[in-house]
Amino acid sequence: MTDFSLRVEGISKRYGSGDTEVTAVSNISLTVSQGEIVLIMGPSGSGKTTLLLLLGALLKPTQGRISLDGLDLSSLAEKALPDIRLHQLGFVFQDFKLLSALSVLDNVAIVAELAGVNSKVARRKAASLLTELGLAERLNFLPEKLSGGEKQRVAIARALINEPRIILADEPTANLDSKIGLQIMRLLRRIAKEQGRSLIIVSHDQRIKDIADRVLWLEDGRFKDMVTMVTDPVCGMALEHEKATSAVWEGQAYYFCSEGCKHEFLANPVHFQTHQAALSLPSATHQEYPLG
Amino acid sequence: MLRFAFRNLFHKKAYFLTSVGGMALALMLILSLDAIFNGIQAKITSYIDHSGADIFVSQSGVRNMHMASSTLPLTVVDQVEAVAGVESVTPILYMGNIIAAGDDRYPAYVIGLPKEAQAGGPWQITEGVSIPNDGEIILDEGIARTVGIGIGDRVKILSKEFRITGLSKGTDTFINSVAFISPHDFVGLRGNTESVSFVLVKVKAGESSSKVADQIRAGVPNVNVQLRTEFAAQERQVVNDMSTDIVVIMNLIGFMIGLAVMALTIYTATFARRGEYGLLKAIGVRNSHLYRVVLLQTLIGVMLGMILAILFTLLVSASVSALEVKLTLQINPVSLVKISLVSLLIAGLAAVLPVRQIAQLEPAEIFRGA
Repeated sequence: MTDFSLRVEGISKRYGSGDTEVTAVSNISLTVSQGEIVLIMGPSGSGKTTLLLLLGALLKPTQGRISLDGLDLSSLAEKALPDIRLHQLGFVFQDFKLLSALSVLDNVAIVAELAGVNSKVARRKAASLLTELGLAERLNFLPEKLSGGEKQRVAIARALINEPRIILADEPTANLDSKIGLQIMRLLRRIAKEQGRSLIIVSHDQRIKDIADRVLWLEDGRFKDMVTMVTDPVCGMALEHEKATSAVWEGQAYYFCSEGCKHEFLANPVHFQTHQAALSLPSATHQEYPLG
Repeated sequence: MLRFAFRNLFHKKAYFLTSVGGMALALMLILSLDAIFNGIQAKITSYIDHSGADIFVSQSGVRNMHMASSTLPLTVVDQVEAVAGVESVTPILYMGNIIAAGDDRYPAYVIGLPKEAQAGGPWQITEGVSIPNDGEIILDEGIARTVGIGIGDRVKILSKEFRITGLSKGTDTFINSVAFISPHDFVGLRGNTESVSFVLVKVKAGESSSKVADQIRAGVPNVNVQLRTEFAAQERQVVNDMSTDIVVIMNLIGFMIGLAVMALTIYTATFARRGEYGLLKAIGVRNSHLYRVVLLQTLIGVMLGMILAILFTLLVSASVSALEVKLTLQINPVSLVKISLVSLLIAGLAAVLPVRQIAQLEPAEIFRGA
């Protein structure tokens, strides 16, 4: 696989017109290089899904340009886009979206067949891919017989079968428990790094940040700068790290919303430590959030 | 995609069986109506078909038997007999009337059959004689059984009493039956001793019926000469015009029901999987591929429904025969071809809405949880 990049230049997506016009994505630029893992986070309604649709050639931007290795996707005719999606992009969905009537093997092989691969070759390739993902014993199972983690692995195999350059994942851990979710994310990271496929993930799941090379915060259709957020151990308020007042106790830094909270903490730090432990909070919670 | 189409169809077996069963019943309705229609048509002309005559000569302007009256002078019989190529002539007397058996009344073609008849008599006798003497009648065995009468019992035509001396088979059409009495009795009922109704002609072996018919036309004035097949076709046509509109309408209703059942089945099957079709569109499957899947599923469903419908109809047909009811269901190759074409048409029409549904499906919706 040669080096490539996905380049997004000043794209916007508007729905409706006149008084009812809504801007879902506004003047976004982004470059994703080969093997890079980009996590896009943001509140509901921030434009994450619209951005994913634009990157996945499922929507055309109202303005701006999306290019894959110099090929301008936004200028291609509508009828040319299915081929791009089939060969260059892999999709992983929140709820797996497997074809219920097909076996695990067929769910994966059908995508290769549709891309023009001979049926036998497609099935062989699918079997090998599924075996690699630990599903050798499940090839002939129907999706309904699989666990959530297994379903997502089948979906990943389906996304990989045509050797796409980019994998787009929409909340890939949302329907999985934390342990399986972590396994899936590690798997995706391994695939991205070992196979040089770019991975763009849209998610609310904070844990995914651990595997991402880059985290972007989308709000009101725009990327915002990230800041580190901390939690006041006394009143529980979320604070910007840089703007908070702090104190150090037993070698650990604590951040407060006001001098009042700070004094209260220092008067009896053990009490607040105990209280935090009961709430299962770290003594100084750090979260990265956009600069508001 | 072929595998996808098949698996989709067979995945939920109960749903699939219900769908195909629904299709089969709808097609069976169409096929049965067609079979009944065919049965009626075949039976309507059973007397003509089994008469043994090659040519029917009737009064000029008379082209069939049902609801018709033909009167030919006796001289015609000799004139026809004299035509080259004619092996035998059988003059018959004919009227449509009612046979009364106790309180039961049955419409019948009453045939005055001469003793020396070479054609036009009962073609299968189950009991008794095949040529009636004066005061005797040969009656359809089905009618006799229905009424509960038999050989030796009496029936009435135009108030004259006849003793049953023969029972024939295959002489009960859907509309009426055929009964045979002597020409003498016939004249007694109707008067007019100097005429016959039809002259039934058998041609010599090796002779062309068409040529002989032409020669009769040329040599005998004021008569209508038709080959047996032409005469039967006229009979069917008249009866069709009179009574089969209802059957045609019922056929049409069957077609509409079949179409509705199939369209709904395929539509709901597609609707139930619109998420999956949306997924396939999202990952890059072209609409044309998905249309083929829907059409293939429709065709498979229709074909299976059709096979089941044929089997069901054959079963019903056999049951009807076993019950010895008047109705006959006749499935002929033309019917099968017709029903197959109708089914294909239904399949095509039934696929229109689902195809439209797929065409309108936005692949982007798959990301929005639709």
